[in-house]
Amino acid sequence: MVKKISAIVLAGALTLSLAACGGGKGNNAATGTEGEGAKTSSGQKQVIKILHWKQDNINKAMNEINKKFEEKYPEYKIEYTTTGPDDEYKQAQRARLTANDVDILADLSGMRLSPQEWTPGAKVPDWEQWINSGLIADLSDQAFVSKWNANDIEKAGTYNGKVYAIPTGKVAMSGLFYNKEIFEEHGLEVPKTWSEFIQLNETLKSKGITPIGVAGKDVWPLKLPVFALQAKILGGGDQQKWIEGVWKGETAFNDAEAVEVLEKMKTLQDNYMIEGFMGIDYASAPAIFATGKVAMLADGSWDAPTIATANPDLKFGYFPVPATEDAAKNASFVGKYDVTWYVAEKGPNKEGALKWLEFFSEPENYTTFVKAAGFIPTMDGISTDSDFIDNELTPYLGDFELAYEIMMINRENVGEHLAAEGVHTEYLAPGGEFKTAKELADVQQKEWEAAAPK
Amino acid sequence: MYPFGKGMARYVPLLLLLIPMALYVVFYFGPSVMTVIYSFTDVKNIPGSTMKFVGLENYYDLFYSGNSGERWRSITNTLIFMFIVTIVQNGVALFVAVLLNQRLRGDYFYRAVFFLPVVLGVAVVALIWGMMFDPMSGPVNMLYDWLFGYKDMFFASFTHAFGYIIFVQIWMYMGYSMLIFLAGLQSVPKDLYEAGYIDGTSKWQSFRHITFPLIAPSFTVNMLLSIIGAMSTFDIILATTDGRFNTRTMAYDVYKETFRGSLDMGLPSALSVVQFLIILVFVVVAVRQTRKREVEY
Repeated sequence: MVKKISAIVLAGALTLSLAACGGGKGNNAATGTEGEGAKTSSGQKQVIKILHWKQDNINKAMNEINKKFEEKYPEYKIEYTTTGPDDEYKQAQRARLTANDVDILADLSGMRLSPQEWTPGAKVPDWEQWINSGLIADLSDQAFVSKWNANDIEKAGTYNGKVYAIPTGKVAMSGLFYNKEIFEEHGLEVPKTWSEFIQLNETLKSKGITPIGVAGKDVWPLKLPVFALQAKILGGGDQQKWIEGVWKGETAFNDAEAVEVLEKMKTLQDNYMIEGFMGIDYASAPAIFATGKVAMLADGSWDAPTIATANPDLKFGYFPVPATEDAAKNASFVGKYDVTWYVAEKGPNKEGALKWLEFFSEPENYTTFVKAAGFIPTMDGISTDSDFIDNELTPYLGDFELAYEIMMINRENVGEHLAAEGVHTEYLAPGGEFKTAKELADVQQKEWEAAAPK
Repeated sequence: MYPFGKGMARYVPLLLLLIPMALYVVFYFGPSVMTVIYSFTDVKNIPGSTMKFVGLENYYDLFYSGNSGERWRSITNTLIFMFIVTIVQNGVALFVAVLLNQRLRGDYFYRAVFFLPVVLGVAVVALIWGMMFDPMSGPVNMLYDWLFGYKDMFFASFTHAFGYIIFVQIWMYMGYSMLIFLAGLQSVPKDLYEAGYIDGTSKWQSFRHITFPLIAPSFTVNMLLSIIGAMSTFDIILATTDGRFNTRTMAYDVYKETFRGSLDMGLPSALSVVQFLIILVFVVVAVRQTRKREVEY
């Protein structure tokens, strides 16, 4: 154990010293590989290194695309590495990118949270620091960029007027999966307003059915239904305005709208969520829904393939949490961009990486990918042949908005009740210490003010 | 007379010593010193980025920024963790060691059983207890329900999660302390007990006045290992709650800030320096106290 901690300190320090060396060497390494490339084109294969996280359905599609790529371009060989998701992946990203040991890397979402004039002292996100340090290749002049939806590229892949990333799809986060059989059996319909939604929950409860399942143990799934509440309620439906407001002191985490968000989630948690939801981990949540233990499941649209695998006979749909009494306003999803490709500027084989991305951008190959991933395509004219996307997601995509966690620029060293761009309703009673929504909101506002730049 | 030869040959051992010394300086001492230096800078985990000295800013951020309340809680948690783990783990280990030191049938089997969790490793232990403590269908919750009509959230409870982590930590490393105590116990000469028996000592008296002073060295070792171990534990926390539900300790914070926080390395460096200082204080005090008790007959 003694060794472990010193090992960490050591590893940290080593990364730093290595990183320092890496900076100086960067240029040499780049020229070095070029020479090598020329040499190897005659016989040996050039390796393209792709870094991604583990997600079975997507990995499978990637392997398929990579194989096709190698068949078409026999001079290249693809080294496709995957790590555990989330934090483990972020760690790998940093290590590989700073060591110039990767050509193509995926990010967990599109570009986001870049500091603005109205966010003094805000943290600069990793991707922006990488671009500023010249680690990411500029894709603006690449022909394949024009194949992608210009609006999506602009929103999720453009920085300072230059294209640096390709977002490969969107996902909806603010919906509830619902069991169509249970709904039909009890003559229930998809609710369009908050009061209809509460009514629906009451009906289910009176029939002895648990209304909503959620994986509380991982905490972040609790954010998902809240994203709907935030997008539709904060700033009267203009989240961006509200977020700017908290920085400027015009709105607050304990103002009426923010408290309403917390209170509505509290209502759901206290009355309609499965008993002991704070003990359910994310991996087991789809099974709870697929076996009919709950009528609805708070989860992102990306989990539809998993649910379908858990019970192939299950008929299920997906609808946005109706946050307000305004049915028209409620009828759209809140979500984010998912897998987003970056090309490393100083990687061992930038040339090959660009070629791969060009290959990936061909509609045929992209279709393979997006079908497996279950994303909403970010390329026009792509047919996914997915009933789920066509019938459940598309009707609500008209006003697609980005989720709070994608838009909220946090203050540095902000307290835990606001950290990680969440609302943290797990701190509400009975699990947490706050008896009312207002109490939590007051603490959040206090923490926000305490984190103000000095 | 001259075991190391004469003339230049005398310097050969020194030269050979240079290799491990260099390795030590490059891979251990150097990085440690660099960590201290980094704690006064705004160094970033990005190649080619500039670094400048910012004085005590990182330390100031630790204790006087928006989330310093959590830092203090991490420190309190670390101390609670250390005290409980050190006392309970060594207490239980000593008790079990004394039991197993008697000639029991199948004592090797028991030893193996008690030592097993150490061999399993953190990931496996976390998995086992994650299943045991599953709030929905875990056996422990069924037992609670049957005995007291009460259900717990275990690793997802703001109030109890940390307690359960302490329990798992003790369960995991108790066998290790036990083994050290056993080794100590077996080196106590039997004739001392015989002499005591002739003088008419009770069981307790012979433990208190013969066994205990003689295994004091094992006690020192165990104290040190569990203090340092407990203070720098983050793996079991990572694997069970991942720092949620008020279970963060300093070591966990260092890990989190270094590998999952921002690209800034100054703050985590400062945090590990603070952690090092706290560990140092406790280790020095503990060594002084336990050394006093060591005797030889």
